[in-house]
Amino acid sequence: MKSTGLAIGLGVLGVVFLIVGVLYAFGVLQIAVSDPHASHHYTHTVLFVVLAVASFVAANFARPKGTVYVTDRPRR
Amino acid sequence: MPVTWAQALFMGLLQGATELFPVSSLGHAVLIPSLLHWSFKQSDPSFLPFLVLLHLGTATALLVLYRQDWLAIIRGFFTAAFRGQIQTDTERLAMLLLVGTIPAAILGVYLQTRIKSLFASPYEAAVFLVINGGLMIGFELLRRRAELRAAVTAASRAEQEEHFAQAERISFRAAAIVGACQALAFLPGISRSGVTIGGGLLAGLRHQEAARFSFLLATPTILGAGIVEVPQLFSSGVPVAEYLAGAVLSGVAAYASARFLLRYFRSGRLDPYGIYCIAAGLVSLALLHFSL
Repeated sequence: MKSTGLAIGLGVLGVVFLIVGVLYAFGVLQIAVSDPHASHHYTHTVLFVVLAVASFVAANFARPKGTVYVTDRPRR
Repeated sequence: MPVTWAQALFMGLLQGATELFPVSSLGHAVLIPSLLHWSFKQSDPSFLPFLVLLHLGTATALLVLYRQDWLAIIRGFFTAAFRGQIQTDTERLAMLLLVGTIPAAILGVYLQTRIKSLFASPYEAAVFLVINGGLMIGFELLRRRAELRAAVTAASRAEQEEHFAQAERISFRAAAIVGACQALAFLPGISRSGVTIGGGLLAGLRHQEAARFSFLLATPTILGAGIVEVPQLFSSGVPVAEYLAGAVLSGVAAYASARFLLRYFRSGRLDPYGIYCIAAGLVSLALLHFSL
């Protein structure tokens, strides 16, 4: 399944995951953590960095490649 | 009470040997200290650095065992990721491992602490060990049915296994399901390698390839879980020498058990481990019940 829209969507998702990871690292985000008083949540950061990498990889896979444009066709 | 040298070495050996065998390392680590009336608890926060080091020992052993594979997988991952296309079996395996690791990582981060604290008693570990045994036998029953359905006839078990697929041929959906199954191992008594090998068998892999996929899948999960807890090692009062010795022994035992299992699964099945788990679980329940 390849489409530019899907690729852009996955890229944006990757950026969102990165931001969430940074927020967990600085303790700004305290959602679903075992210790809400901790100043850092590195486990969550690692998870969201992995999710971001996976999203960027998926975006690159979803990007249409090798498109032959009409203008590329040889003229007769 | 701090861990003694003998306890550290014993726990290292136990963790390394049972982490890769389909018999649940966590189940044994909860049950055996309790049966031996040792005073420390696995769930105690002061025990965490020791567990971290033991897991890092196991992960290091797996990295050493599969060092060539991991170099190829990492190279394959970056090549496929930048190209945006899979062209070789190694690139496919790299992406399968990524897909398999993500559900385990999500479930691990959000559920592990809650599940472990809910089911941390030796009684529950013994019951789950029996269930794990039932699962192993169930996986093999389903596999035998698949062999009958495919009308696999061969002179030997090794030849029979060749009718099934290599790890690189597993589907992405199956890799995600097998990866998610790792979360079952947060229940003490349920084996991570057991459920992932079983999942691989259901997906049509050879026993040896299911074990290889399970060990490869385990490496980033165990390593990741260990590395994020490394700062705990530098807290005061940690008996570093004892813990390090236990970790080294854990690595050696994990390396030896992985080599043994890969050879065993050329023709062997999960049933003996299933029978062992049921027997060990029932004996432990009896010992705990009668406070022996």
